[in-house]
Amino acid sequence: MTALVLPPDVTAVMQSFFTAEITTINRAGQPLTWPAATYFDEEAGRVVCAVSIAFPVKAYNARRNPKVSLLYSDPTGSGLEAAPTVLVQGTAEVAEVLDYPPDIIGLFANVARNQPDSSKFSGNRIARRVFSWYLFQRIAIRVTPDRVTAWPGGDTASEPFVWEAADGR
Amino acid sequence: MDGDRLLPLIAEYRSAVLSWVGPDGYPASARCHVTWSAEQHERIQLEGVPPPAAGVTGLACLLFHQHDEHLEGLRQMVVKGELTGDGAFIASGVVTANGRPDTDRMPHAGAPLHMLAFLRVGRRASGAYLRKRGEPWPPIPFEEIGRLVTEHNARRG
Repeated sequence: MTALVLPPDVTAVMQSFFTAEITTINRAGQPLTWPAATYFDEEAGRVVCAVSIAFPVKAYNARRNPKVSLLYSDPTGSGLEAAPTVLVQGTAEVAEVLDYPPDIIGLFANVARNQPDSSKFSGNRIARRVFSWYLFQRIAIRVTPDRVTAWPGGDTASEPFVWEAADGR
Repeated sequence: MDGDRLLPLIAEYRSAVLSWVGPDGYPASARCHVTWSAEQHERIQLEGVPPPAAGVTGLACLLFHQHDEHLEGLRQMVVKGELTGDGAFIASGVVTANGRPDTDRMPHAGAPLHMLAFLRVGRRASGAYLRKRGEPWPPIPFEEIGRLVTEHNARRG
């Protein structure tokens, strides 16, 4: 396994962008892309997002076909300027969120920090009971990168930085 | 076509995320600009194919989404379809994350009726998931999660 070593500006994007666009492939071969809050677990070298059990299609797709991608292309709110556009293509592992390891807490913490009103909502006993299917009953999609491509300044016509796992995971 | 009424919303977005499946089987995506017109309807024109998608044909999708600086004002919809070789995308259906056929805006506290409709859709769908699962979801330690989240963000500063 090759250690995931990325330039600091690429790491900053994966840590700071509020959302990434995750693509899964359905049974018919149709790619489907949705925005998702993510957490980049730099130590583990993987990215996690989590979908509500009410909208499990992404998780079902990723379980059936673990080849997925994450595009970081919307810097809104991140505070980063002229950031690269980053495409992570990798292998997904799918599991219900039944315990709370550091990456899941990191993901919840990202949402709490980036969306201040969500904390008021999830901190309310009635709201979290009524909306637990949305807030907490979730399925994690953990993506181990096989390839990371980054285009400086978001210009996809420019020469990209490319990192690839040497073992072809 | 499913979601037909949503197509005109394309004109309200500055860009879209185009996704396709590469020859290695991995999905890939790139931002692009598109033009939609009532006359062309399901034929969406790409204003220049993004270089990573050059020469790609076949099944693809266009994601339109936006949020503000506080991750509010969420809008999102996915147009499914196919890329032609001449820079066009032929739509075959539109899907929203809110379950509605008339708007791509996600529910928020300022629109209580919309929030109630979303609650109804979500509870029905999550109930179906739990029935299929067969066992109830274990109790959620809300207070413990809240404490860990606060500690995490305090460490990050």
